[in-house]
Amino acid sequence: MMTQVLEKATETKTMTLLQALTDAMDVMLAKDPKVVMYGEDVGRLGGVYRVTTGLQGKHGEHRVFDCPLTEAGIIGTAVGAAAVGMRPVVELQFGGFMMQGFDQIFSHVSRFRYRSRGRWSTPLVIRFPFGGGKSLLEQHADSPETYLMHTPGIKVAIPSNPYDAKGMLIAAIEDNDPVVFFESIYLYREPSARMDVPTGYYTVPLGQARVAREGSDVTLVTIGTMVHTCLAAAEQAAKAGIQCEVIDLRTVVPLDMETVVASVAKTGRVVVVHEANLTLGPGAEIAALIQEKCFYELEAPVLRVASFDTMPSPFNSLNHYSRPEAHHVAEAIKNVLSA
Amino acid sequence: MANTRRTTKKGAATQTNEAMFAGSMPVASDLTPFQILAPDGKPVREDLIPDLDLVEDMYRGMSRLRHLDDKFMSLFKSQRLGNYAQFGGQEASQFGSAMALNRQTDYIAPMYRNTAAMITHGWSIQNAIMYWRGHPEGWRLPDTANILPVIISIPGQVLHAAGAALGLKAQGTGGVVMTYVGEGGTSQGDVHAAINFASARKDPCVFIIENNGWAISVPRQVQSGVDYLVRRSVGYDIPGYLVDGNDILAVNTVSKKAVQDARDGKGPSLIEHMTYRIRPHTTGDDPKAYRDENAEPEFWRKERDPIARVKKFLTLEKRWNDDREVAMVAEIETEFQAALEAADQVASPRPEALLEYVWQNDVWQIKEQREILKRRVAQMEGA
Ligand SMILES: Cc1ncc(C[n+]2csc(CCOP(=O)(O)OP(=O)(O)O)c2C)c(N)n1
Ligand SMILES: [Mg+2]
Repeated sequence: MMTQVLEKATETKTMTLLQALTDAMDVMLAKDPKVVMYGEDVGRLGGVYRVTTGLQGKHGEHRVFDCPLTEAGIIGTAVGAAAVGMRPVVELQFGGFMMQGFDQIFSHVSRFRYRSRGRWSTPLVIRFPFGGGKSLLEQHADSPETYLMHTPGIKVAIPSNPYDAKGMLIAAIEDNDPVVFFESIYLYREPSARMDVPTGYYTVPLGQARVAREGSDVTLVTIGTMVHTCLAAAEQAAKAGIQCEVIDLRTVVPLDMETVVASVAKTGRVVVVHEANLTLGPGAEIAALIQEKCFYELEAPVLRVASFDTMPSPFNSLNHYSRPEAHHVAEAIKNVLSA
Repeated sequence: MANTRRTTKKGAATQTNEAMFAGSMPVASDLTPFQILAPDGKPVREDLIPDLDLVEDMYRGMSRLRHLDDKFMSLFKSQRLGNYAQFGGQEASQFGSAMALNRQTDYIAPMYRNTAAMITHGWSIQNAIMYWRGHPEGWRLPDTANILPVIISIPGQVLHAAGAALGLKAQGTGGVVMTYVGEGGTSQGDVHAAINFASARKDPCVFIIENNGWAISVPRQVQSGVDYLVRRSVGYDIPGYLVDGNDILAVNTVSKKAVQDARDGKGPSLIEHMTYRIRPHTTGDDPKAYRDENAEPEFWRKERDPIARVKKFLTLEKRWNDDREVAMVAEIETEFQAALEAADQVASPRPEALLEYVWQNDVWQIKEQREILKRRVAQMEGA
């Protein structure tokens, strides 16, 4: 079910996920004068991962600029700017630092519309690199989507490939609800994840999952970097004659349960895979919904593969034991089939 | 920023103008950083030159730290560290301040750039190497060192410091807490919360802003419209000191005063060290992407080096010569090599470390996950 809306997109170019994101912002800076981008190091440097590279030079310092080092300040000012008509796209240096501004997200970004009965809204995008798989310091490898899923009023996008990343970021900037946009550090420059991406404007709607691989025996529900982990596990399983369907949720809010339920109807067996730690991670909600919506289709309990309930270890020294790997998923596939 | 009038606590009006900033440092202000030794090694305040033995200790201490900074950088280059936040150029700022503390009673609440201050306060070099390797045993600082955990999310440590000051005062230990924050970090509201908290209660805390000109690629003037951040002390009604952070005599004199005041129950102080980050932000950073390394940084390396300044002074005083230098460097290198060897001999991290110290007594989820971990370890060993 490839639900990609292509408009005006003509030529394509091979891009990494990072290049696709830069391209999306370039397109939107040119298209909408209300779009502004700011954060720590996003101007001259182009961000520590260089996702905003070249944008200040091309679109001007009034559109793309460095600001004081304060996440509460970055997010809180984006609320005010959005309320009066701007389209702020702000960058946090790492997902782990979202918490310094989380009061603004929890108390204000998510509530302006509700608090004012629709008079005010906060059409802003908060983007940040997240997740493990690379050698990083403490608080640089977190996956904090759970906190956002539990906060009504926000959309949460976690693209798994360059095509989706660009189309979803453009959709996020145009969305009238606030969107928190997760960018996989692991996939940013991953050569094997490069793909052809249209050079112009197009959107990928937020809230529609994608079937990344079809199969009839087990459904793997996943998102972000883990889509690739699950595809690798599915490939392995196929060699043993087990056909896995891999669902890339694309967004955890809104959560496209229709696609999930349709798949479970086929397979009756589900493994949910995510990077966030197990307890109350996205898998908890997804498993609960599956048993509510298709209890009688299930042949086995829904299993979860997630990071342990601990902190990612610095410089990745031990994380391969905790953060889901293809062989961890393979083991869960075996278990869900033998249940 | 056109001719704004500012009122200092004493009521004197001061002026600033738009020519104030060029690059990362203020070029014109009515305030001048406190200095005892000029960059050429000549005293500007003869009356404040301490005992020459102490000055020699300062020189040796800073030289040792610079040597370690160099070594840590090369360890990273040979992939024997995970990352490392250099303090090079900030030796006077960190050593001069931390040496004003009493290791037995006083505490440091550090940030990632404070390896120099922490070593001064009792962190071992071996432990520091292991920390920057991400080894779990490196996360545990020696029990003998009164140092709270190293904080990476800016500026958590500053609040911990205010709280530790509250706690030490409540227990009547006579202890003082010193904490550091970068000039970039001062833009976080929590810095206000911390200083205000300590000032309202007159708790024994010394807040040091290490203004090294840069927050990764962002120059100082992007952080605030004020010329010197220490002006904020006026708003808390606490002593504020603007110090030449590359003059260790000035740094140490002011730190001693602030620590003594805190110990005497007079409450916190705010100190701004004017210093400079002559090296990349961390070993993962390429400063050529945002500053001309041959201009301002080169000026600070050549003309404002904190260690060279003291060496010039000691040489003028005939307290230092090349033979002493050679002997000192050999000693430092031997010390470093021994620490490195000890660190290298520590076994690689145990996978079990992942699930230790999350809670004091494991909740059942941890116990269950430990079983999964055991299976995975066995599989990896079998594979
Ligand atoms: C809350 C938070 N936001 C962002 C970062 C990413 N970051 C790491 S260092 C740095 C710049 C800090 O500059 P400054 O406070 O001046 O300290 P310096 O590194 O110069 O010593 C930034 C933005 C962080 N560590 N924590
Ligand atoms: Mg700085």
